[in-house]
Amino acid sequence: MASNIEKVRNIGISAHIDAGKTTLTERILFYTQRIHTIHDVKGKDGVGATMDFMELEKERGITIASAATNIEWKNYEINIIDTPGHVDFTIEVERSLRVLDGAILVLCAVGGVQSQSITVDHQMARYHVPCLAFVNKCDRSGANPLRVIDQLKEKLGHNAVAMQIPIGLEGDLTGIIDLVTMKAVYFDGDHGEIIVQKEIPESLILEATQMREQLIDAAAMFSDELTEAALEDNVSEEILISGVRNGALKRELTPVFMGSAYKNKGIQPLLDAVTTYLPCPVEINNQALDMSNPDRLVTLTNLPDDPLVALAFKLEDGQYGQLTYIRVYQGILSRGTVAKNARSGKKVKFGRVVRMHADQMEDIENIPAGHIGALFGIDCASGDTFVTPGINLSMTSMFIPDPVISLAITPQNNKSQINMSKALSRFTKEDPTFKTYTDLETGDTIISGMGELHLEVYVERMRREYDAEVKTGRPRVAYRETISKREEFDYTHKKQTGGAGQFGRVTGYMEPIATEEFVFENQVKGGSIPTQFIPSCEKGFKKCLDKGPWMEFPVFGVKIVLIDGRFHSVDSSDMAFQSAARGAFLQAYLKASPEVHEPVMKVVVETPTEFQGTVMGSLNQRRGIIVSAQDEGTFSIIESQVPFSEMFGYATVLRSLTQGKAQFTMEFFNYKQVPQPIADDLAKNLKKEQK
Amino acid sequence: MKNHKFVILNPFRKMGNDTEDVIQKGEIGAVLARAGVGKTALLVQLALNALLRNKNVLHISLNDPVTKVSLWYKEVFNNLAEQNKVQAANQILESILPHRFIMTFKVEGFSVPKLEERLTDLTEQNIFLPDLVIIDGLPFNKDVRKSLSNLKALTQSHSMSAWFTVTTHRHEEPGTDEFPPQIQPIADLFEVIIQLKPEGKTILVFPLKGGSRALNQPPLIFDPSTMMMKENG
Repeated sequence: MASNIEKVRNIGISAHIDAGKTTLTERILFYTQRIHTIHDVKGKDGVGATMDFMELEKERGITIASAATNIEWKNYEINIIDTPGHVDFTIEVERSLRVLDGAILVLCAVGGVQSQSITVDHQMARYHVPCLAFVNKCDRSGANPLRVIDQLKEKLGHNAVAMQIPIGLEGDLTGIIDLVTMKAVYFDGDHGEIIVQKEIPESLILEATQMREQLIDAAAMFSDELTEAALEDNVSEEILISGVRNGALKRELTPVFMGSAYKNKGIQPLLDAVTTYLPCPVEINNQALDMSNPDRLVTLTNLPDDPLVALAFKLEDGQYGQLTYIRVYQGILSRGTVAKNARSGKKVKFGRVVRMHADQMEDIENIPAGHIGALFGIDCASGDTFVTPGINLSMTSMFIPDPVISLAITPQNNKSQINMSKALSRFTKEDPTFKTYTDLETGDTIISGMGELHLEVYVERMRREYDAEVKTGRPRVAYRETISKREEFDYTHKKQTGGAGQFGRVTGYMEPIATEEFVFENQVKGGSIPTQFIPSCEKGFKKCLDKGPWMEFPVFGVKIVLIDGRFHSVDSSDMAFQSAARGAFLQAYLKASPEVHEPVMKVVVETPTEFQGTVMGSLNQRRGIIVSAQDEGTFSIIESQVPFSEMFGYATVLRSLTQGKAQFTMEFFNYKQVPQPIADDLAKNLKKEQK
Repeated sequence: MKNHKFVILNPFRKMGNDTEDVIQKGEIGAVLARAGVGKTALLVQLALNALLRNKNVLHISLNDPVTKVSLWYKEVFNNLAEQNKVQAANQILESILPHRFIMTFKVEGFSVPKLEERLTDLTEQNIFLPDLVIIDGLPFNKDVRKSLSNLKALTQSHSMSAWFTVTTHRHEEPGTDEFPPQIQPIADLFEVIIQLKPEGKTILVFPLKGGSRALNQPPLIFDPSTMMMKENG
């Protein structure tokens, strides 16, 4: 591997669904000679784009897993993480961003900044990922890259500035004008592989000059040298580039490039921009947590001579066992050496070290600091940190949202049963937002995740990759129960049926608490319950939370205050007080006006303006509260909060309401009380199921 | 909606209005000031006052994106809650927000028929029935009279009331009866007109039209640091 770390770039490509990032990646692989033919996402040749190697992705035209791939461009080594676009897979985007040093934000020249772009941008901000923007699809009708730049400014608050302007638009797109070199660039050859630089066409000179002025103004904020040069009207290319770079690294300036991946326009200049404007690994400050002192953050050095710190950010089940994608932050990860898994404390030996190119790989000896590679035969979960034995560091934990939907799955036969459990253990390791457990009462296997599509994809993968035929039950929403008023309890648990008796009495009250899941407060005075039994009481109460006494949903937001009680010197025991607590909970809970809460999603719909009313109606029908309507001229953005239980199948409904022209994204917002009539229905259904 | 003990006092109550609402159904009012003096803050206070009285507020902004408008409400509310030492302010805010609807337009894309269409969308499907409309950023140029009278007709037909912000300019001398030139030709349409004027470090609030506050009383004071009406004004 190239050892000059300044010539390494770890970048991601993120975008709204269908903005064309897979096509873009495909072109990049082609120009860097990683692949020799171009296949389109939904291509007629049936091969599909190289990065979307999972069969399912090929079929649906979406990208699910982020595949890391390594390319070379003009002596620079670039590692690309292809990130998924659908919001159900947000965790994957976040995990990828964690290991990136920079990103390309792909935007559609027609759609502009769409809701998903906003989510992705938030995530980039969270991990301080410097980025540049690429306005794709400039060949489509209705393309307007300058409007997209305005949207970047308005909607995302980026200090966006054009680095290029298009020569012709829509069907007439022939090339671009580079505002730094002030040359027109054309892309000849069958696949645009021949770059021809010419003078700027006369008709565009004025516009180009004006846009360059704007670029200099924006970049001058980040370079005194450039400000001086601008005053003297003597701006050299180098000075301008360094000004833009300074701004981009601080995330205070977003250089915008444009072109059309599908029409092979503007890709090579974008690659140049990646090497010019995005940071190399040493320019990024990466920090790890010191495990012996959790409050202390340690800055990682990126030096190959220091002890190893590496993060496993992605797992995949390959033909030859588990493939672990890894980013090395410090030291060198060499084949045959031993390291410690910081989470489990287990020692592992790195057997096979590889470099990935979509689904092909290449064996290598080591991965130096700042690089991304993959390991074979390592048993670990995603998010694990590997360190040289003796040091005690872990990469900061990643933010993981709670699942909002669950589904019962039943294997169809014995073989499927075995394969299903294999698949599930794999998926839960790969994806922290995907969880699975067994319902103790029904014996069903339950899977839970971030949305309908999320679970659907996993069920489908079970079928295809693991040959596990499973039947799925009705999706269930993750409801919660809580109480709404204070209620006292006084409960005696007494049993004398031969042998040692059981005795315990607890009195106190329970009350709602908004901020926490469960609070237990002990106010027992004078030893009316001996201290050793207080934890027993807490345990007893806590056990009741898993399944609420009213609707059998998990209980949240209850505070228990234990005031008094009685014990028996012989018959009182841990068990007795646990039972007493359980009895007390059941006694008070139903009187404390229990309520059901449901997850509410923030749903953002982008629709052509003519359908605004219809869309609002459809959200309103679903018990949605419409928060705002933003009129952008030809299209509108409607933001609403809708109970998750009402959102099943909304994608289909929306499509038919708007002739397929609207799209929506949703993410978890908060929990809210279910209105009484609906709670009654829930209770009725529950009773029916129990019968 | 739960009842709150927290009430945001009507910022204009000291102008001598007996009822809670300064303007009645079908009436329109204007807040005049130079850019950056605090028109939006004042109207957001007025909106919060209405929201806390279980009224529905439609906030139409022609300049700011939705996020910025929400931020205005949050900031002003938190400021007020802090001043009044309100407990559980967050829950109160959360419970009133469903009664607020933000609509944004691009200035050039805004027209009264378009707004009417939107309003009909909302009201016919029973999605949102506003009591109070805030229109922030309508340009008061030469042809505003027509759209303004249409808007007034609209408020009357939907039995709402509406407040407008009007940006005045330093260089323009006031007309004879003290109305700034932008509003001079249309002053008759408004029931209430209020002007904010910075003087030294404070901002004075002058009722130019409407309100029965005696003329010899000192003007109300608007605190520029908090963008709130001062209690002892």
